[in-house]
Amino acid sequence: MSAIAVPATHRSWRPDFWTLVAVGAWAILIVLLLLPLGLVLVSSFRDESGGLTLANWQRLFTSTRYVNAFINTLIVGFGGLTGALLLGSVMAFCMARIRIAGGRFVSMLAILALVSPPFIGAYSWIVLFGSGGIVRQTLMSWGIFMPPIYGVWGILIVFAFKFYPYVYLLTSGALANVNRSLEEAAENLGLTPFQRVLKISFPLVLPALSAGGLLALIHAIADFGTPRLLGRGFNVLATEAYTAYSAEIGSNLGMATTLSLALILMSMVFVFIQRFMSRKNVYHSNLINRPEKVRLRGFANVAAHVAVYFIALGGAMPAIIAAIYSVRKTNGPVFQPGFGLDSYRRIIATLGDVVQNSLLFSGASVLLIVVIGTLIGCLVARRNTAQTSLLDATLMVPYVMPGIVVGVAFIAAFNTPPLVMTGTAAIIILSVFIRRLPYAVRSSAAALRQVGPSMEEAAISLGYSPVQAFLRVTIPLILPGIIAGAMLSFVTAVNELSSSLVLYVGGTITMPVKIYIAINDGDYGTAASLSTILLVLSAGAIYLAFRLLGRDERALL
Amino acid sequence: MAYLTVDGAIKRYGTTTALNGVSFSVAKGEFFTLLGPSGCGKTTLLRSIAGFSQLTDGRVDLAGHDLLSVPPHKRDIGMVFQDYAIFPHLTVAENVAFGLKARKVAAAEIRERVAEALATVRLTALAERLPAALSGGQQQRIGIARAMVVKPRLLLMDEPLSNLDAKLRLDLRDEIRAIQREIGIAAIYVTHDQEEALAISDRICVMDHGCVEQIGTPQQIYGQPETRFVASFVGTMNLLAPGAFGLAQVPGVAQWALRPERLRLAEAGARARDGAGGAENGAASIAGTVEHFSYLGREAHLTVQAQGHRLVAQIGAPPPDLAIEAGRQISLSFDPADLHAFDAQGRRVPAERAA
Repeated sequence: MSAIAVPATHRSWRPDFWTLVAVGAWAILIVLLLLPLGLVLVSSFRDESGGLTLANWQRLFTSTRYVNAFINTLIVGFGGLTGALLLGSVMAFCMARIRIAGGRFVSMLAILALVSPPFIGAYSWIVLFGSGGIVRQTLMSWGIFMPPIYGVWGILIVFAFKFYPYVYLLTSGALANVNRSLEEAAENLGLTPFQRVLKISFPLVLPALSAGGLLALIHAIADFGTPRLLGRGFNVLATEAYTAYSAEIGSNLGMATTLSLALILMSMVFVFIQRFMSRKNVYHSNLINRPEKVRLRGFANVAAHVAVYFIALGGAMPAIIAAIYSVRKTNGPVFQPGFGLDSYRRIIATLGDVVQNSLLFSGASVLLIVVIGTLIGCLVARRNTAQTSLLDATLMVPYVMPGIVVGVAFIAAFNTPPLVMTGTAAIIILSVFIRRLPYAVRSSAAALRQVGPSMEEAAISLGYSPVQAFLRVTIPLILPGIIAGAMLSFVTAVNELSSSLVLYVGGTITMPVKIYIAINDGDYGTAASLSTILLVLSAGAIYLAFRLLGRDERALL
Repeated sequence: MAYLTVDGAIKRYGTTTALNGVSFSVAKGEFFTLLGPSGCGKTTLLRSIAGFSQLTDGRVDLAGHDLLSVPPHKRDIGMVFQDYAIFPHLTVAENVAFGLKARKVAAAEIRERVAEALATVRLTALAERLPAALSGGQQQRIGIARAMVVKPRLLLMDEPLSNLDAKLRLDLRDEIRAIQREIGIAAIYVTHDQEEALAISDRICVMDHGCVEQIGTPQQIYGQPETRFVASFVGTMNLLAPGAFGLAQVPGVAQWALRPERLRLAEAGARARDGAGGAENGAASIAGTVEHFSYLGREAHLTVQAQGHRLVAQIGAPPPDLAIEAGRQISLSFDPADLHAFDAQGRRVPAERAA
């Protein structure tokens, strides 16, 4: 029963407010999502002169280079998934069920790992474990040989530490919510502790585990920075798509779009497999008894603490390294012994516009995301029709679109009339907007479903029109959720690299893009200090969100 | 004098019919209750009057004017919700003032009327609190004050007490009735609790499957149920087949019914003490085996198995030493004048025809 759907009379049809929202939502999705995607599809069947061809797809399946990239993408995807599941579930179990000293600090480190700016992660691993890495050099000087971190194993290690928070945050939430009585009942029925975990706890957290794993998998196959920096010849679909697009000589949009489509299809297959797997496994239980955290003793206690801190510090290490390196003395791009604020001075002197761009673009896209996302969220939550279900389903598409793909698709769509936006700030703002919009829609719809329609009905019965009732009752009630969502969107927007990398021009360069360029140029001081600024901005936004929403790390996913 | 009239209300959702031609009228100042099991259409009807749901067909008039063409926020109808629907971001006083602000009432008058309304529901001390910390009973009091303070033309209440515990339900029930009388407003009250309906209403409309079963005063509904559904939904009814216990086989009567409190315990020997009362007073008697006995203090319930029937007898003010063990043979008696008769369609057969 909808509180909003109350056309007053049986008069001739006049579009009401929510019908206009629906029309607007579809217009946005068609222009910013379906049209670019359609053009990507078309362009993958075009050759350089514009004729119809299957050559791109043929090359994808025959050229050794692309077949390798395809296989490599699967390797890093499942390798990253395995690593993230391993680290994430160990961490989740320890944090949810065992008393860990400094637990809050540990979960803060997990958040730090989650919001580390892209690229700086891989760079920090090189600083420590690369050919000339500090740790590697030290070990070598002690006579212990350690291979440098480059290559597929390096990528997998970085992915495991980078993506474990997805598994950890979702699974620990689920583990903390398994009704203790269930486990006690199992114990009472004669199951051993191991059987109990296997037969009761594991099936109950499986949906969360698989959802976290899916996030890790999708991010791993979409990740562009890590293989680019650590791969040393190990190519994946994301790097190939970027190379095909950005090659100075023989830039090949058709090949870039074909590779992008392959990447989308791969993500979609995984999403469907995960959906299929956890289709029946959603359990609702009324929570009476939260499980209690056990205090371990002796060796087991030490082992649990070592495991938790090893994972947490490993994941947060890139952010920590960046913060340390940002205050090292530099002379131009070269680090000097000692500490100083040279890098920050250089940023203020020469890169003010980059910081300003980042703030401006993120601010603008967050504003769009909040206003439009909230309206669509209300529509989806309150009007349950075939049309809104289709809208909801269409909004799933950006979930499986890697940033590189969004960038390439926007180039394909907005480089030629009628709508030319390439090289403008608008195209970067809109690309971030469309990628993050689904999250805002989901969160505002969820917030609204909690409010329930009778609040609005009460206001209407007291004499407020439906629009007034919405503004005066519903909006104030979901406002904290909206602002918290905005803060989290800001974190993603300000850290966005891969689509901006495709879309930026000299005047619209953002901090993550500048970090990428600085690392490629060997200007590590600038990269580290820019990363630190990003981290501080992200941390501030997350702090605000948690103040408003209550501390809930899962909101970050 | 009809103040609100509902005429031929029909509501269909796809192929299901929630309301199947409901008509009734409510007088000014009357407390009118829609009573029925869940899914009988009572809430749908209430929401249609409020304007939150649209009738497929039918008319609703309030004070002589068509109501359905008025948008819900202009109907000037107060509503009290089952889940309270108290705005959690506003204080108690702000909640109550909410409707007055929509009516652009002057600030000084708002203060005055809010204070008065809060005094009526005994919440003056909590005026500046946020509702989150208040109990369900207090929240529903806010809901009542909020709906009443605007002096609406009609007050609708959708199971307002069903989320409260038993003791509170009784207290608030009486309070609602007292406030409604004091203001003299016409009220439509929805409930599935028959005892609540009997206690609070001027008239009751019993509904089932989207149809009106009977409209009448509590006494008529309980004492003269027009259908077998009303008879068994309101209170408890023992259903007896014609021919059993020496009951007459009257043409057109498919079932006899008897309230548990009309069955008297007439143990062996008791009849002699009463002076062989039964036959002389025209009483009929039933011999049976006790299946279950429960002592509830002010009354006791006795389940008796007799001739394939399972009968419930209610013993008022049972002596404290009364205990009847299962398996005991006992005899029950009743006055045939207390019997209700129903035909094969479940409709009441008038006493003169059933005699």
